[in-house]
Order: sequence, then C-alpha cells, then structure tokens
Amino acid sequence: MDRPNNGHRKTFLEKMGEKFPFFQRKNKSKLYLSDRQPLTLQGKIGLVIAHLVLIIWSVIIIWPLYQMVVSAFNGLQDGYLVLNRNFEFSLKHFEYLFNETLYLAWVRNTIFISVSTALLTLLFVSFTGYAYSRYRFKGRKASLMAILLIQTIPVFAGITAFFTMHSILSSVLPYFTRQMMLILIYSGGAIAANTFILKGYIDSISTELDDAAKIDGCSNMQIYRLIIMPVAKPMLMIIGLWSFIGPFMDFLMPRVLLTSPRSYTLAAGLFTLVNDFRTMNQPAFAAGGLLTAIPIVLLFVSLQGQLVSGLSKGSVKG
Amino acid sequence: MRKYNRYLVDEIGNTYERKNQYLLEIALLQEEMEKVGGQERKALKEKVQELLKNKGKHPYHQAYKAYEEEKSLFWKGLKKESKAYESTLEKDLSRNVRIFKVQDFKARKKEIFFKNYIELGYEATYYYEEAKLEQKYYPEIISTYTEYQKHLKEAKEQRQKLSAEEEAQAKERFKEYKQEKKEELKNSIESLKKKRKEKLISDKALKNGKKELKHRYKKALTLKALEAPKKANQELIQNLKHELKEKPKQLKKTLNADIADKRRKIPIEVEKTKPVIAYSTIFLPGLGQLLNKQFVKAGLFLLASFFIYFAAIPYALGYGNYQGDGISGLITLAEGAPRVYTSMMFLIEGILAIFLVLIAIGFLGISLKDIKGVEEKSIRGIRPKNWFETLENIKQEGFPYVVSFPALFVIIFIVVVPVITTLMLSFTNMDPQHQSKFSWIGIDNYRTLILGEGLAGSVFWQILGWTLIWTFVATTFAILIGFLLALITNHERILGKKIFRTIYLLPWAVPAFITILFFSIMFSPNGALTDIISNVFGERIIVKHSTNLTRLTLIGLQGWLGSAYIFLLTTGVLQAIPSDLYEAAEIDGATIWQKTRRITMPIVLFQTAPLLITQYTFNFNNFSIIYLFHGGGPFNPTRYGNLAGGTDILVSYIYKLTMVNQYQAISAAIILFVSLGVMFFAYLGFRNSKAFKEERL
Repeated sequence: MDRPNNGHRKTFLEKMGEKFPFFQRKNKSKLYLSDRQPLTLQGKIGLVIAHLVLIIWSVIIIWPLYQMVVSAFNGLQDGYLVLNRNFEFSLKHFEYLFNETLYLAWVRNTIFISVSTALLTLLFVSFTGYAYSRYRFKGRKASLMAILLIQTIPVFAGITAFFTMHSILSSVLPYFTRQMMLILIYSGGAIAANTFILKGYIDSISTELDDAAKIDGCSNMQIYRLIIMPVAKPMLMIIGLWSFIGPFMDFLMPRVLLTSPRSYTLAAGLFTLVNDFRTMNQPAFAAGGLLTAIPIVLLFVSLQGQLVSGLSKGSVKG
Repeated sequence: MRKYNRYLVDEIGNTYERKNQYLLEIALLQEEMEKVGGQERKALKEKVQELLKNKGKHPYHQAYKAYEEEKSLFWKGLKKESKAYESTLEKDLSRNVRIFKVQDFKARKKEIFFKNYIELGYEATYYYEEAKLEQKYYPEIISTYTEYQKHLKEAKEQRQKLSAEEEAQAKERFKEYKQEKKEELKNSIESLKKKRKEKLISDKALKNGKKELKHRYKKALTLKALEAPKKANQELIQNLKHELKEKPKQLKKTLNADIADKRRKIPIEVEKTKPVIAYSTIFLPGLGQLLNKQFVKAGLFLLASFFIYFAAIPYALGYGNYQGDGISGLITLAEGAPRVYTSMMFLIEGILAIFLVLIAIGFLGISLKDIKGVEEKSIRGIRPKNWFETLENIKQEGFPYVVSFPALFVIIFIVVVPVITTLMLSFTNMDPQHQSKFSWIGIDNYRTLILGEGLAGSVFWQILGWTLIWTFVATTFAILIGFLLALITNHERILGKKIFRTIYLLPWAVPAFITILFFSIMFSPNGALTDIISNVFGERIIVKHSTNLTRLTLIGLQGWLGSAYIFLLTTGVLQAIPSDLYEAAEIDGATIWQKTRRITMPIVLFQTAPLLITQYTFNFNNFSIIYLFHGGGPFNPTRYGNLAGGTDILVSYIYKLTMVNQYQAISAAIILFVSLGVMFFAYLGFRNSKAFKEERL
C-alpha cells in the first residue's frame, strides 16, 4: 500500500486494510475478479437445486451403508435386523462372526482363489497378449477371431459340465479340489477378453524398444521379460486387479461348484448367514460384509483412476 | 524316372557343384536330354537308365563305398583311441576339462581323417570343417576353464589363510565407518529438512533427497564391507564360480553358432528324389526324425507318438475312461450300462475323446510336415538342422506358438468343452425323470421352448419378456442417473466435488452381493425400509409380496448400484473434453442446454458406447441381483408355475432349472438362446471398436 498519496485522503476501509490483512482481502473481493460470468438469479437457483440433488443422492447412497455399519456394531440387534432407534456399541456380532461361523476360512479361501486366479490369468494373458501383438504367425487371424468369439460366451454356459468335469479330473489328479477347478474356470474364462485388451495395449506401444533390444541380442523371452512386461505394467496391473477382485464379487460359480461350507468363498459363505434359517444371523452378515467391503473400497478409492481408464482403454482404444 | 539337378542349392539360393560324380553324370545327361529331341534323346535316356541300373559298378560309387567302410572303422578306432587318450590324462583334472580335452583330441583325429575325403563328398567336407572349428574353440575353452579354476583354487586357499585378527580389525573399522556414515546421513537429512522448513525446497525434493542420501549411504556401506578380507574373499569366490559356469557355456554357444553357419554353407547330397520317409513313417511320429538323424527332435516326437497310441486312441476307444466309453459313448449315452454310470459322464468323456483325437491328428500332421520339409530340403541340397539350430528356430519362429499353447489348452478344456457339452445336452431329455440316464431327442427342447409347452417351457416367453424389460429399463435408468450426476458434478461452480465423487464411487466399490443382500434384509417384512415405507404411506406395504413392487425395487436398486460405474466413466470423459469447445460455444451465445446437447452428449456417448453396451449384456446376465434380492420371487404358482418366480430372469431361471429342479436339457437350450443373444450384443459392442476395425478380421 505504498501508493503515492496525491492529496487523496485514505478512506476508512483502506486504513483498516493496512492494519488487518484479512480485512483487506475481504475488501478486495468486492471487485468482481472471476473470469466467469456473474450469476443471474436463475443461475443461483439452479445452482442451489443442483447442490440439493447431489446431496439427496449422497444421502441415498450413504444411508444404507450407514445402516449396515450401525447394525454391525449395535449390540441391541438380534438375529433379524429391525429398524432400531436404540444403539449400544458392542462387538458381539464380530465375535459371533469369528467364533461361530467359518468367516476366517472363507476369507482364506477367497484370498487363495483370488490370488491364484490373478497370477494364473496374468501368466496366460501376458504371453498371449505379447504373442498376438508382436508376432505375425500362421493362424493368427483365425485364432484372434476365435478369441473374439469365445470372449462373448458367458461363463455360466458351461455350468452343467463343470461339475462332471471336475469328477473326471479329480479321478486323474486326486488333489485337484473344487476350488482349483474354480480357479481354472475364472482364469480360463478371463483369457480371451484380457488377451484382447492387453494386445490392444501393447499394440499402442511403439516397437522401437523391441527392435533395439533385438539388435542388442535379446532373445524373445528376454524381450518379453525385460521390455514388454515393464512397459505393459499398468495394463497388467489392471488385469491382475480385476481378476483379483472377480472372485470377491462372483456369487454364481462358487454357489454351483463349491459344496461344503468350509470351502465357500466370502460371497457364498456370507449368503448362508442370510438365507439359511439354521445359520441365520443378519447383524453378523452386516459385520462380515463390512469387514469384506472395507479393504475393497479402499482399493477402489485409491485406484479408481487406473481401474476406470483401464476399462475404457481396453474397449475403446482396444 | 528320377530327376537330378546339376547344382545343389542352399537356403539362400547359393549354388554348389555336386561332388557325387555318379549323380553329377546323371544330372548332366538329363540336362542334355532337355536340349535335344527324338532319337538322340532316347539314346540319352537309355544311357541314364543304364547308369541307374549299374549303380554298384560306377567308380564313384565304389570309391564312396570304400570311404564308408573306412569311416566306420575310423569311428570305432576313434572311440578306442579317445578312451586310451583319456586314461593318459592327469588324474587330478576336473571332469569338465577331461571332456573338453577328449573332444579336442577327437577333433584333431577327425580333421586328419576327413581331410583325405574332402573331394569325395560333402559329408567329409562338413566333418572336416566341423573338426577345424572344434579345434579352434576347445583349446580356448580349456584354457579359460583351467584359468578360472586356478583362480578359484587360489581364492579358496586364501580363505584358509585369513587371519581372525585381521578380520576383527576390519570389522572394527567397518563399525566405526558405519557410525560415521550414519552420523553423516543424519546430518544431511537434518539439513534437508531444515531447508524444507525454510521453504527453500519442495516436498518432493525433500523426499527424493532423502531417498538419494539413503541410497548413497547403503552403497558406501556395501563398498566398505568388501574391505573386510572374509567378505571380499566370499564375493570373489562367488564371482569366479559364476564365471566358471558361464564362460565355457558362452564359448560353446559361439562354437555351435559357427558350426551352424558352416552347416548352412555346406550342402548335402542324397540319392532319393521324393520324400519317402515322410509318408512311410506317417503313423509313427519320431521315427522319421530318427531316420533324418535329428535325435532330440525324434525323442520329442516319440513322446507325441506315445500320447497318440497310449492316451488319445485308447481313450477314444473307451479304455482308461473314468466311466464313459470313448467316442462311442456319445452315441449310446450309457444306455445299458450299469446303474451307477451316468449319461452325463459318457457325454463329456465322448467330447473329451474327440478333442484328444483332434490333438493326436494335429501331432501327426505336424510330424508329417516336419519330416517332409526336412526331406524335401535335403533333396535340394539343404542340410537338415541339428538340435542347436532347431532350438534356435523354435525360439524364434515357434515362440508365439509355444507361449500361447498353455492358454489354448486351458481355453479348450475349460471353455470350449463345457460349451459343447451344453450344446449337446440341449438335444437330450435330461430332466428329473432322466437324471442319470438320458438319451438323444433331437430338437424337442427347442420346440418346447418356442411353443411354450410343458412345465419348464411354459414360462419361457414370460421370463424372456421380463428379462428384456429388466435389461432395458434397469440399465437405462442406471445410465441416466450416472450421466446426470456426472454432468452436474462436473459443473464448474459445484462445491465439494471431491467429496461427492468419493461418495458416488461407493456403490461400485462395495461388493454388490453385500449391498444387495443388505437391501434384501431391509426390505424383508420387518426390515428397516419396510417400516419406513409403512410409516410414510400409513399402511403396511411389504414390497417382497408383490411382483410389480419387487420388480420396481430391483430396477431402483440396479440404478443405485450401476449408476456409480457410469458416473465414474462419464466423469473421466467429461474431464478430458477441452474447455475451448465450450468457450467457443459461449462466445457464439449457446445456452447450457445447447452446450450439453451439442458438445457433451455426443462426445460422451461416442467414447462410452461400447462400455454402455457391455452394461446391457451385464444386466441381461445379472444373476446376483435377482437371486440375492428375493431368490427370483415372489412366487406365484398360478402364473409362473413351480419352477420360477415373478422376477426371475433367464440366467436365474437357468440356475434354478439346472441346480435346483434338474431340468438340465431345457436349461441348456435356454443357455444357447441366451448365449446367442449375448454374442449379438457383444458383437454390436466391438464392431465399432478401433481394434476390430484395424485388424480387418
């Protein structure tokens, strides 16, 4: 405020501004500095309505989730969940979950299946994606067409056969459990679509790197390991992540294939807490659901950008 | 009549003179024949036939016979001599050196022997050249090997001599050094932090600086640790061991590459003019490769033979099946078999057998092609590849096949076989009365479905109708909500965007089965939402008792669940739209509505269309929401029979038919319908994708 004072007397506001910086800022904001047009009355009403809509939808989303959290911790809830205005903090539903149900076994099963599925899928797909993107071999187009066709067949098309196939396989390999069958089904079913996605991604990477590596004497395997894998890592991560999440979300296949509660995945296991009157305990379900949802939600929230962009890349740019 | 060329050709088209005088003579005569006609030609022809008849009497042939006898004697002698030579070697040589030395010795002998026969044929030439190369490399291999061995020995001896005192001293020094460096690191980090506090550097710079300092600290410590004699010695020994293993390997690889080079340049002469072996050994892969002297390859193909004759064919004939009867089981479907045998087993094992036979035929084809190729090439003059070359070839050209084979295998047995089983099952009468034994009934199931007959078929059209409505309404509803929310949230004047975006992500992030089940609980007769609804309307409304209300709720629920994904997708696209488009529109006086309609909508729709279509297919098959919410109910036997409920869609109906009510055949027929539908949608989806267009499939 070292303006030359050509006989102009400082106004009160200017004086205050010198003394209190915050006052000065407030004073300044009277000038319309935004490069947006000033809002009309209509615009203002619209803005309020827009905010209202957003808030209402937020409430619609949060209320059921909030109910779930509350009932998981509410010691006053019994086997059936009811609208309960009274709340008493208690961990008894969690205790029930851990002590009376097979929750931990389900978690173990699901993680085992998810991790194996992700690893197996990545193993298959990273090779096929690389081969289809970089090599022009005989039968390439025909098999690519076949892959395109196969990826559209829904997995449940084979449900009647899987059961019998498992008994044949397990007669040859006695240690081949139903869970392993499930892993094979998940990863086998994921090959076609993911090959296509990964092929598209690797296609978009210029071949200069490979060529340079080839000139330096890298073998195909070395190019795969040292060049393609690191470069395609973002897409591989997305594919791995989706295959990892798949078994957490899927309900149909475990329901069809797994028979004993001990071998259930989370989805099939938690379902028994809701639909089977012998094991019915809805608050325990809420507790289990909460425990299951939290890590996944954290995963999704932290990786949302990659997850969404991976999906759109895969199918739009392909 | 056999036809011989005058020249031999190698892979890149270089020509070589024949060394086989006998064949050369024939070739020359045949060349002559081409030029002349009539009487002269006939005379020449006779001459050729004469030659062919009296092959044994031809001087070249006799000379060659003598060479072959000599050669076999030589090989035998060489074996003995090399053994004798080995026994003269010093006893304390390591095994590898011994082998290398014997090889070197053999190479020397070979060179001397084959040198005399270079003119006689290309075989001798090749052996001679090979021996020369071996002599060039083996001494080098031996010397490097012994040198490294010597170093290793020295290093090991040194280890014995290490004094504990020195080691302790070094340790002490290291400790001091570490202390010192640690102090240094601490100080540097402190000063960095101070700089950050004074805002001289950014947060990121601080982070990177810390990282770098730590890295440097570690490096310094590793270096210092090597000053300790024990550690240094350990490293040295490790290094030498590695070198000892790798160096000779490398040299051998170079030798092999050089030999391969020679093989390409030295042709081969054979008397046959047709690929005889290929066709005569067609049924036993491996034998032909053996006759072509490609031994490792022969071993691999023998494995294939083993598979064909001890796995595929017996299986197809019904031996070694779990229950079934190979391919013939497909026809009988366990008719007349013992009670415990099920038709399903026979069906699947029959299909498996067909695939095994197909794979066997594939092996036969590959083997035939391989032998034929080798033979045809050797007729032209190209030397068959040795294992080193074959391996290189597999690594190069065979790479895509080798790496995608496991995937192909899994796809065949996990996707294709079950799908074909389902397809076949739809032509049988597998129902509650025919669980373990069923038979072929043609297209009856499809007729039942289309005409809407029977217990299982009568509701088909109703369910299909609701499935289509469900797919269309639920998906569109979710898309509309998601799109609208994204549009509003993306407006520049909206406050708290980040919070809204995180909240709207939740329905997508929480596993759907959890939310669906929880909603189902809340909508149950004494659930929270039922109470609230009753309070609002003043009378008790139980959603789950009414088909229409349940349907409405399901659509609403899908809106809740599905909109999150659409929201995320659209937000991503919206954020990528360049703002100058809108600015230009504003300058031209466009209203908000016009901007949305003319700029936003087309861009968003264009970019997300394929994904939106997958949303429709997803809902078409959305088993979870229907089954988990109310198990497809409410049940209304008068309208929907006993097999389905009012909100069942095709997938959940299939599930019930297959897993609960055991109408597998009808359900298979429905699966086929559904799959065709889904495939159609999927085709619509990727028809326009860039990948599909660029491949021009």
